[in-house]
Amino acid sequence: MGLLTILKKMKQKEKEVRLLMLGLDNAGKTTILKKFNGEDIDKISPTLGFNIKTLEHRGFKLNVWDVGGQKSLRSYWRNYFESTDGLIWVVDSADRMRLQDCKRELHALLVEERLAGATLLVFANKQDLPGALPAADIKKGLDLDEITTHHWLIQGCSAVTGENLLQGIDWIIDDIASRVFTMD
Amino acid sequence: MANADGAVFVTKENICDSEFTKQFIADKLQKREDERLAHVQKRKEEKSAVSAAQENTKSFYEQFSKEKNDLENELSLCDSLDKNKLVDKFDEISVMYQKLQRFVTESTMFLPAYDLQQTQENLSKLQTSIQEKRNELIPKKKFAFKSKKKGTVSEKVEEKPKPVLEDEDVLLADCKFSDRNGEQLVMDSTINKKDVALTCLDSCIVKLHGTPSAVHINKLSNCTILSGPVSGSIFIRECKNCTFVVACQQLRIHTTTDTKFYIHVTSRAIIEDCSTVSFGPYNWTYDDIEKHYEMSGLDKRRNSWDDIDDFNWLAADKHSPNWSLIPEDDRKKFT
Ligand SMILES: Nc1nc2c(ncn2[C@@H]2O[C@H](COP(=O)(O)OP(=O)(O)O)[C@@H](O)[C@H]2O)c(=O)[nH]1
Ligand SMILES: [Mg+2]
Repeated sequence: MGLLTILKKMKQKEKEVRLLMLGLDNAGKTTILKKFNGEDIDKISPTLGFNIKTLEHRGFKLNVWDVGGQKSLRSYWRNYFESTDGLIWVVDSADRMRLQDCKRELHALLVEERLAGATLLVFANKQDLPGALPAADIKKGLDLDEITTHHWLIQGCSAVTGENLLQGIDWIIDDIASRVFTMD
Repeated sequence: MANADGAVFVTKENICDSEFTKQFIADKLQKREDERLAHVQKRKEEKSAVSAAQENTKSFYEQFSKEKNDLENELSLCDSLDKNKLVDKFDEISVMYQKLQRFVTESTMFLPAYDLQQTQENLSKLQTSIQEKRNELIPKKKFAFKSKKKGTVSEKVEEKPKPVLEDEDVLLADCKFSDRNGEQLVMDSTINKKDVALTCLDSCIVKLHGTPSAVHINKLSNCTILSGPVSGSIFIRECKNCTFVVACQQLRIHTTTDTKFYIHVTSRAIIEDCSTVSFGPYNWTYDDIEKHYEMSGLDKRRNSWDDIDDFNWLAADKHSPNWSLIPEDDRKKFT
């Protein structure tokens, strides 16, 4: 039995989940993380590097990695792929001009071998903005229906109001749990 | 039930085995932690003139290079290892890598940005060499979900969706100006709490008398943009020879040159792939600005207009050559 298998079993006991949060810069990743954790969101600066937070939710220990999305940082994303149970891809739904960019980066991630098997949650964020594309349009724009290699869901949400954040996180935990924590 | 890699089997034996391994790893971690504490203690006692920050960075590098060496050693041993031990060995190496990565993450609080970037690059290289070694020694398994595709969550779509959105859709934002040349363009307080887009403008003057929630700007040249307080971020890309007079929570500037910014930013302004950009304090006033400030929730007392993060210049001890401050005498007034 491989050590990773053993570690997976240890994780089962503690119900530890590793979530990697990626997306273009300005999508609202850090805001989602802080909002979900009940922290102040007014003082968030653009992420120069990365944040990691461990959150307790529904008896799960969530290790959430929030990695900066600036062009110059994207080549470091792959440093964080190992042992990812769930990928949360965050989109600025009001940024119509970068939707193509956003699609390209997402699809490039999905062919990464070390992310194979990870559940994918797409947050169509900033739905509180009147100019935001609805989740159905983001789904189309990102070609999500083409994805057959990962379990996925798109969820419209707003990090500022907190709307639908919980629904998204609950879905990704449920999906991961049904694959990984099947022992008890 | 089978996991993604099909490797989880539940037998009593395995559970005992995992208990044992867990204890073993826990002991090892404890031992290392003790060593680390002893080391830290020793360093403390050594009392040097070096500042605490430098001290931290130094002991970070010591531990980092030690662990990196250990890992590389393990990696070099793989070549001569028995074939059936390889999987376990690579699992072990991958755990070592993850711990090293976590150690780096936990050190970001005190590591100067430049050192952080160097370390990130080192981690990247390390990861690549692990991957290459693994590919070389262990033939790849193909990963795929079972054809049932159980649980794939997506509504059925009646017709094949278009691969991308049409151009008009893309630019259909409520409040926007695009493709204008040599005009004076104005928006009033109907933009409050909305998102505004400005794209492909040449030689225009744009005045936003209101408090939008977000602003996206792309491809402007020779323009002057004035905006009331924006409660969220302003995102600027590919502008040339412009002047921006803007207030916001975050300001993100990319691929922009020869441009002046007069800003009020409550968290932080960043630049990436920019050159010859300069900054001064926000100084625009119009009739309703106080009211708009209140609506936006921006704190007037907090303004980091003179402290810019350059994502292409992470050395802490040298100023970025890409941006500067506008000398007081050269600053313009806007009405
Ligand atoms: N209106 C609105 N603004 C948001 C939302 N989420 C984030 N923002 C703003 O978008 C900007 C970028 O957010 P941040 O979390 O730093 O983005 P990141 O680069 O993905 O980490 C900030 O000014 C946030 O206040 C949202 O749901 N609605
Ligand atoms: Mg961030």
